[in-house]
Amino acid sequence: HVAMVNKRESAKKLRAKTKSELEKQLTDLKQELSTLRVAKVTGGAASKLAQIRLVRKSIARVHTVTHQQQKEHLRRFHKNAKQLPKDLRAKKTRALRRALTPREAGATSAKQQRKARAFPMRRFAVKA
Amino acid sequence: LKAKGQQLKGTQQLRKRKIRTTPRFKRPETYRPPRAPKYARRSLPRRNALDAFKIMQYPLTTESSMKKIEEQNTLVFIVDKRASKPLIKDAVKKLYDIQASKVNTLIRPDGLKKAYVKLSAEHDALDVANKIGII
Repeated sequence: HVAMVNKRESAKKLRAKTKSELEKQLTDLKQELSTLRVAKVTGGAASKLAQIRLVRKSIARVHTVTHQQQKEHLRRFHKNAKQLPKDLRAKKTRALRRALTPREAGATSAKQQRKARAFPMRRFAVKA
Repeated sequence: LKAKGQQLKGTQQLRKRKIRTTPRFKRPETYRPPRAPKYARRSLPRRNALDAFKIMQYPLTTESSMKKIEEQNTLVFIVDKRASKPLIKDAVKKLYDIQASKVNTLIRPDGLKKAYVKLSAEHDALDVANKIGII
């Protein structure tokens, strides 16, 4: 378990940042990555080459946190909407989305209800 | 009789058959309102996947590219295969603050796109290369 030279910020610390701070962090990381890539081409030190992976994953982390925050805000924004945007709706599967709702599936006609009430399933027991 | 006929049909006037002067029939234009969606299909617009950093991948430091830097005031980059010349021009401006006078591209046999970025006369490719770190 080797400790890396530059330890990246954890996602926990990223979540505490504001949107503009995250944007700035993103561009900084991308700048760093571009210089590291130049170093790779011009024969950089091994430490620099090892950094590339760290920086790439940090960029991914920032993207993830940004996206999660945005989604959360949007869900709150659309909370009382009658129709949600499609990516905020439950994903499930295509078939499940088109299936009858539990209410629709359990709906019975008046005739059926009368029958059920008149002729319920009887339960019998044998006296010991 | 006519009055009775009109009574039955109501007060609508009888229309004359329209005189058509050509054998063509073109669908009449109908009212098309602009889109006013009741909900956004995507809650978030897609983020630009091809930003300046993604376009410019790395500069080339081969002998021929060094020659280009010194003699023809051009920098040579490997760029994203989906980048077009105008996009490359903008990316170079954004990343390195330089004005490209023209960009030539080619796709290498290994599938990567190479861009020859000729700088305008006010920039010196050698200085810029030093700044980037190509040397």
